[in-house]
Amino acid sequence: MTQTYSKDDPTLLVDSPAALIDSIQPFPPRSEREAEFYAVRDGEMLINLGPQHPSTHGVLRVVLKIEGEKIIDLDPVLGYLHRGVEKLCENADYHQAICYTDPLEYISSLFMELAPVMAFEKLLDLEAPRRAQYIRVLTCELNRVASHALFMGWLALDLGGLTPLLYAFVERDEIVEMLAAQTGQRMLFNYFRIGGVNGDLNHDFMSRLGDWMSRALKQVEANQRLLNENEIFLKRTKGLGVVDRDTALRLGMTGPSLRASGVPYDVRRAHPYLVYPELAFDVPTREEGDTYARYLIRLDEIKQSIHMIDQCLHKMPDGPVMAKIPRLIRPRPGRAFAAIESPRGQYACYAISDGTDQPFRMHLHDPSFVNLQAMGVVLPGNLIADTMAIMASLDPIMGGVDK
Amino acid sequence: MDARLARRLDARFSDRLLRPVTGRHDETEVRIAPSEVPEVMRTLHDDPEFGFTVLADLCGVDTGEVMQVVYHLWTEPAVTRDWLRVIVDGLDRDDPRCPSVTFLWKGAEWQERETYDMFGIVFEGNRDLRRIYMPPDYTSFPLRKDFYLADDAARGAGEGVRHMEQMATPAAATRSNTVRRAKIS
Amino acid sequence: MPADVPGNRPAMLTVPGERAVAEPIRVTNTLWRSTHETAYGGGLPPAITHLRELELANKRDDAPWSGALDIIPTKADHVLDLIRANSLWPLLSGLACCAIEMMSAAASVNDMDRFGMFPFRASPRQADVLIVAGTLTTKMAGPLVRLWEQMPEPKWCVALGDCTCSGGRYKRSYSTIEGIDRVLPVDVYIPGCPPRPEALIYGMMKLQQLILERRGHWAERRVGPSVPAGI
Repeated sequence: MTQTYSKDDPTLLVDSPAALIDSIQPFPPRSEREAEFYAVRDGEMLINLGPQHPSTHGVLRVVLKIEGEKIIDLDPVLGYLHRGVEKLCENADYHQAICYTDPLEYISSLFMELAPVMAFEKLLDLEAPRRAQYIRVLTCELNRVASHALFMGWLALDLGGLTPLLYAFVERDEIVEMLAAQTGQRMLFNYFRIGGVNGDLNHDFMSRLGDWMSRALKQVEANQRLLNENEIFLKRTKGLGVVDRDTALRLGMTGPSLRASGVPYDVRRAHPYLVYPELAFDVPTREEGDTYARYLIRLDEIKQSIHMIDQCLHKMPDGPVMAKIPRLIRPRPGRAFAAIESPRGQYACYAISDGTDQPFRMHLHDPSFVNLQAMGVVLPGNLIADTMAIMASLDPIMGGVDK
Repeated sequence: MDARLARRLDARFSDRLLRPVTGRHDETEVRIAPSEVPEVMRTLHDDPEFGFTVLADLCGVDTGEVMQVVYHLWTEPAVTRDWLRVIVDGLDRDDPRCPSVTFLWKGAEWQERETYDMFGIVFEGNRDLRRIYMPPDYTSFPLRKDFYLADDAARGAGEGVRHMEQMATPAAATRSNTVRRAKIS
Repeated sequence: MPADVPGNRPAMLTVPGERAVAEPIRVTNTLWRSTHETAYGGGLPPAITHLRELELANKRDDAPWSGALDIIPTKADHVLDLIRANSLWPLLSGLACCAIEMMSAAASVNDMDRFGMFPFRASPRQADVLIVAGTLTTKMAGPLVRLWEQMPEPKWCVALGDCTCSGGRYKRSYSTIEGIDRVLPVDVYIPGCPPRPEALIYGMMKLQQLILERRGHWAERRVGPSVPAGI
């Protein structure tokens, strides 16, 4: 079959001259915004921050329109990691659908499983046992600490500092080995089930957790001291990429980026789920809305998470970790929406059931996808070097952006 | 379902709702026609009695008979604890059009692009309606119910790209057996 | 009318503005070409990569020492292989989840620096190994093969993770490529979802073994996929 359907077909590169590849400007323009963007005036230049670049956010392509070193406008191109998760979930069981959602935001994959599991439990009118809910909160907050530690490392890496990344990975490795002792996997855990969790806490996990908890706060403080008072870091992040309150709400931003702009919206407080009503924690909020504020908020959240893990360990009830549900799940027809607070913002799953054993429609609302739109609002006017700092502070994970 | 919210919605939008206000657990559900979207959304957003300033989700649904666009809204500061689900019902499967809400929430722009990419629903008023996930010259809309995921492997190693839009025997694809109809409404 | 264009009218898309709209600078491929026969693309139109012309000339590209050292027998080649094996510089091409495990393998706890593999080069021109970590989608396949072609010889390719070996859990998807060996010649496959960093290090050690034994694809390399047609 020699007919090719897409200019992105890789066989084109193999068999045909490179001149077939489009130049940056797509012609004819497909929308108003595209026409406005790709009309390059005198002194402006289009430069491609391609899908492969040293920043560790994954495969994001941004076409920058620059004038000298200053960015005038930008056009993000997504879809380089679009794996068709929603379509695959429609053709799979409810249990299989949870497996597909793991690799969306792969750093915080327990959150990615949690929202669909909660949506399916809503469809079934089922409530997980209390011990399972505590275990869910415990492991989720552990995952949040790991995710925020990585964020700190990547923000520093994008500004040129290699050392905090290594410290961040040491932190993450420790937490992730703990979770591997419990779930069997270092990353795409596949631990939550409809009706509970996969297995009760085992001795290996508890001993590692206790060991880590005894030095967690001090370790976090030490890691923070790497960057918090670093003059270069401060100069490069303070006052940069300010998103004010109204813009943030209009953009639909959620999570630490929204709280850094002064809106104290946290799904755990606003719309409590699992056992969060019983845990005492603060919702850190800052007013400045710049990169430094977004960084500091995540550091505060690490401390809050450690506090929450402590409370979970003290309050953990006994009991089963899995509700008794039939093997073949057929919820009655209906709709359910479940939203949780993932490390990047509000992650939600909207599930429609039509009475069969496959979800009729499963939509995953990803926070990185929506937060990344702030880039188009905030970046113009800054220098190219600030692009990476601002993108890193918005903390996108392209697996979630592209689904 | 929040009963007070349901009463307020009924009182304000009684003539525009396609169905009475329903709800389950912590969600309240409202159905409107596509032409009502701008006014209803603006009222829900601006009116302090409702105050739904947070757009939590925007997605499309293909029921096999019609297409729908579903918005999930929340109040900030909190007026009610419920999620409000606004279902825009009755979009034709062959030419689905819906007014855009980018005038209220700029963050809806990419979500509408995604819905267009996956379903073909054209959002009138979105200044940037082009494909976001699939390559720009892709011709199908993947999440529609008549887009069929084939299970056979690709036809050859050197081709790489597997073209899922084609059925094994195109003659066998009739409308009745390709489209998964929902028994929900 | 292509489905991507939602019924727009071209007349509406004119851009009002005071300053003149400049034409974009297009640099075509035919700017300069060397005529030396061993130069990259020398003497031939750029449509043919240098490996094609080697195939046509029936030469094998073993990349040995050339010139005066030709007469020194295999010991020098072995030293060359040792040099290559112990200083493999990967290209930063982390696509998805496996990229995190790749970074974890390069970080302090599982250290790839002791094998000489720490410098993850950002530019393909400076890299030896392309570790494809993460699902390859149809949209990304073009840029990835372009990256591969930009890498200078000798180069190797490592498929990290289930998605790159065979498509993984996204095998049924409409936008995933079922395994990168459909578009690139792969030397080492590392299965796992995601594989542990120790697995990646084991895979890299296998690659070092391949290099020392002069096995693998790079000696009889063809441009393009490495699985036979019909798979």
